[in-house]
Amino acid sequence: MASRGVASYRTEVWSDWCPGCGDFGILAAMQKAFAELNLDPATTVVVSGIGCSSKTPHFLNVNGVHTLHGRGIAFATGIKLANPNLTVVINGGDGDLLGIGVAHFVALGRRNLDVTVIIHNNQVYGLTKGQASPTLRKGEQVKSLPVPNLQDAVNPIALAIASGYTFVARAYSLWVDHLKEILKAAISHKGSAVIDVLQPCITYNDIYTAEFYKDRLYKLEDDPEWDPVVRDPGEEEEKKATALKKAEEWGTRIPVGVFYVNPLKDTYEDRLAKRNPAYSRENPPAFQSIYSEGSSLVGPEEFRKLFDRFIVKVSRR
Amino acid sequence: MASDLHLLVGGAQGSGLETTMQVLAPAYASLGYGVMANREYFSNIVGRHSYIHMRISSSGEPKALQYPVDFIGAMDAESVFTHYDDIREGGFLLYDMGTARTRLVQIASMEPDLRNRLLENFKKLGIQPPTVESVVSYLEKDVGVNVIGLSFTALFEVLIKKHGLTRAQAQRFRSSILIGAIAGLSGLDREALELGLEKRFGSRPKVLEINKDFVASVADEIEREYGTPLKLAEPKAPYSEYVVASGNDAVAMGKIVGGVRYQAYYPITPASDESVLLEAYEGLKIDGESLGSIAILQTEDEIAAISSVIGAALTGARSSTATSGPGFSLMVEALGWAGKNDVPIVVTYYQRGGPSTGLPTRGSQSDLLFTLFASHGEFPRMILSSGDHLEAFYDAIEAYNLAEKYQMPVIHLLDKFLANMVASMPIPDLEGVRIERGETIFEAPRGPFKRFPRDKPIAPRPVLGSGAITWYTGDEHDEYGHIDEDPVNRNIMYERRWKKMEIADKEIPEEFRAKYYGPEDAKVLLVGWGSVKIPALEAIEVLGEEGVRAAYLHVRMLSPLPKRLISDVLSRFDPENVIAVEANYLGQASKLITMETGFLFKKFVLKWTGRPIYLNELVEGVLDIVKNGRSRVVLSYGK
Repeated sequence: MASRGVASYRTEVWSDWCPGCGDFGILAAMQKAFAELNLDPATTVVVSGIGCSSKTPHFLNVNGVHTLHGRGIAFATGIKLANPNLTVVINGGDGDLLGIGVAHFVALGRRNLDVTVIIHNNQVYGLTKGQASPTLRKGEQVKSLPVPNLQDAVNPIALAIASGYTFVARAYSLWVDHLKEILKAAISHKGSAVIDVLQPCITYNDIYTAEFYKDRLYKLEDDPEWDPVVRDPGEEEEKKATALKKAEEWGTRIPVGVFYVNPLKDTYEDRLAKRNPAYSRENPPAFQSIYSEGSSLVGPEEFRKLFDRFIVKVSRR
Repeated sequence: MASDLHLLVGGAQGSGLETTMQVLAPAYASLGYGVMANREYFSNIVGRHSYIHMRISSSGEPKALQYPVDFIGAMDAESVFTHYDDIREGGFLLYDMGTARTRLVQIASMEPDLRNRLLENFKKLGIQPPTVESVVSYLEKDVGVNVIGLSFTALFEVLIKKHGLTRAQAQRFRSSILIGAIAGLSGLDREALELGLEKRFGSRPKVLEINKDFVASVADEIEREYGTPLKLAEPKAPYSEYVVASGNDAVAMGKIVGGVRYQAYYPITPASDESVLLEAYEGLKIDGESLGSIAILQTEDEIAAISSVIGAALTGARSSTATSGPGFSLMVEALGWAGKNDVPIVVTYYQRGGPSTGLPTRGSQSDLLFTLFASHGEFPRMILSSGDHLEAFYDAIEAYNLAEKYQMPVIHLLDKFLANMVASMPIPDLEGVRIERGETIFEAPRGPFKRFPRDKPIAPRPVLGSGAITWYTGDEHDEYGHIDEDPVNRNIMYERRWKKMEIADKEIPEEFRAKYYGPEDAKVLLVGWGSVKIPALEAIEVLGEEGVRAAYLHVRMLSPLPKRLISDVLSRFDPENVIAVEANYLGQASKLITMETGFLFKKFVLKWTGRPIYLNELVEGVLDIVKNGRSRVVLSYGK
């Protein structure tokens, strides 16, 4: 199939984010990554929750499912399981994915379903005018807050590793090409992938600004010794420990890049197919025929065979 | 010989009570008897009082449960105390003589409310102090109950000696004593009894063998001693085969026939048994060949369950979830999303007693108005409610058809009564089952697709992966599914959604949505829905015998409500003789009918104890209204 240009992944819908919003960088990186991976728009589904970043699907010329606050992962789970041939990318904010939707975030890691999660992490609830999100640190008071935040921050990288994600990375929305490369790796990865994308909220967050990140961010891969990939099951514990330690680094230096990759874990789809060989990508549940000429595939004879244990024949004595 | 046999078997939860039902139901069904069995239990795994209430009917149909019963089998002392007034004169009580000295006040597992009430009752009856012995003696002398005392310990000794079991192992055959006694007293054909045992223990040959021997020996001994006083009349079986199943089972079977390809659930009583059964069928295997695969996911919560079901439905899979009140409470936001986006999902909803945790293992019909109005904003949804097991089976299939044809969520509203009741139903007519998928499209032209054309309320629905590019959003949207807050568009899209309901209301035959049972010249009309159908159908017969010509209007579809048919039926009755029969406080269906037709209900028979509406109390309630002019009768029979 001929490759598709970046432009073909854009819609004519106007992006109504604040000028200078970090979401623009993430959107651009997605369009580029989709183009470079030559994703078929018809079999690609971008799912989102609610919030500024969750408007993303409308700006992408692929299938878009803009769902409920916190529920993007849950919707995506049904989409992927019913048709594992679809490429599924979930977008949500830090409040969406790590606050109201955190149960689904953890559950996805446990399943290792083959989907990609992009956290648009700006430490605030932007669309409701800047309340503290689960990634804003204790004691911090962004300009929209009348008083300092009293709740500790959740660490998305550490939480993802603890939950079982097999591809865990952090990126920065203004480093579009770097993010694009991570996105490509995440989408290509077989299993649950998460990218914690740091993005300035230029309207409500006057702490984590582009200026703040400028001198602090560094790339993990710049260290030639850095190797986040589990190549042998025996390495899992150690690689996780190293990644978790790295995840704690937040101050004068903040790492971006790939923290942890485990390509050895089976995906949920694989686990399902192993338990039930009738479940397969070749014949996904969504596209299975369930009837012929208006009648169910389970006709009188099939019913008897399937439900034999419930059937009692009457014999008069 | 009696035409019907009413049984109650009580004991501690976890002591094998269900076995009695699982053995006796197929055994009697195999002879052509209709069987209905309900299980009442606490939210508890081991120790609290639980009982099986069964009716075996020579009519060949599963018939309504009623009190008093002909036989009570008490596995323990608590059952004797609890059910002492549930047995008829001339009935049989079997109890364990080893519990004779047990005093009521010693029963720690009994709730204080019941204990205090019983203490009061026994005091009035002069049963002092209340022990199993004194209660049994009262029943024998004052009520005319035939008491059969057996030493369970002695019976276990036989098992220990004959089969080399340990005491603990022998005690697991407690339920076999009751099965044997019932088989003996009713002269149950021994081959049928063996068939029942095989259905239950077929996969465990050793247990089966001991059971066959033990049950037969108890049956023979009881028959020798007491004869067969509970022998039933020959069955008038119109069927050559039965499906013996619970409501949960019937719905799961319906879903499989209906083509379910995705189900998600979070564990909840009394819904999860359905999903667990579906899991056992995930490979849809017949003779080693697979008809397809059902993806079943146990989710982290009910929000994820319904959300993933919506996702799966967008891909074209027939998708559903099964839940109860607390779970549905969590699902309502997503229900609105499905309503907004024309997504065909099915929510199978087994009502239990609310509010909040309420009576988690008891039934109710108190969530009709909740399901009708659940979720903010206005959007159409369909509500189907089944009256019995066979309806539940067919409705499980029809729910998918309606969801896909009219592109909206369908709530299949059942209750714990049906969920847990085991009935013998005829083999469904599968030739008559149709699968209708409406405008669902699996191969669409490539490129952006107008999923929500303004001029087509029910539009082609290319699934995700069909070639088309589609967008969906919970925001008000344009024809492509992009956000659109324009007031003109808003009006069009809002009306477009409701137009689907108008079309559905025109197309779905009212005769399917409601049905009138009884004589055309009836003077009294009962109006009900859901499992009320079971006692109501028989109540109108009994009332007829009592000189009250009564009919029953069964409403199977609550949304869209068949208002023309209902209005027509109601107009033929004096409003003073129209009685709403429901397992709730408000008379919710009657309120809905008033809302849709303007007809004001004046008479109610209601129940919200969490126990089923029994035939006897329903008849009494109706008579109380008809003869004594009462307007609202609240039922409360049952332990």
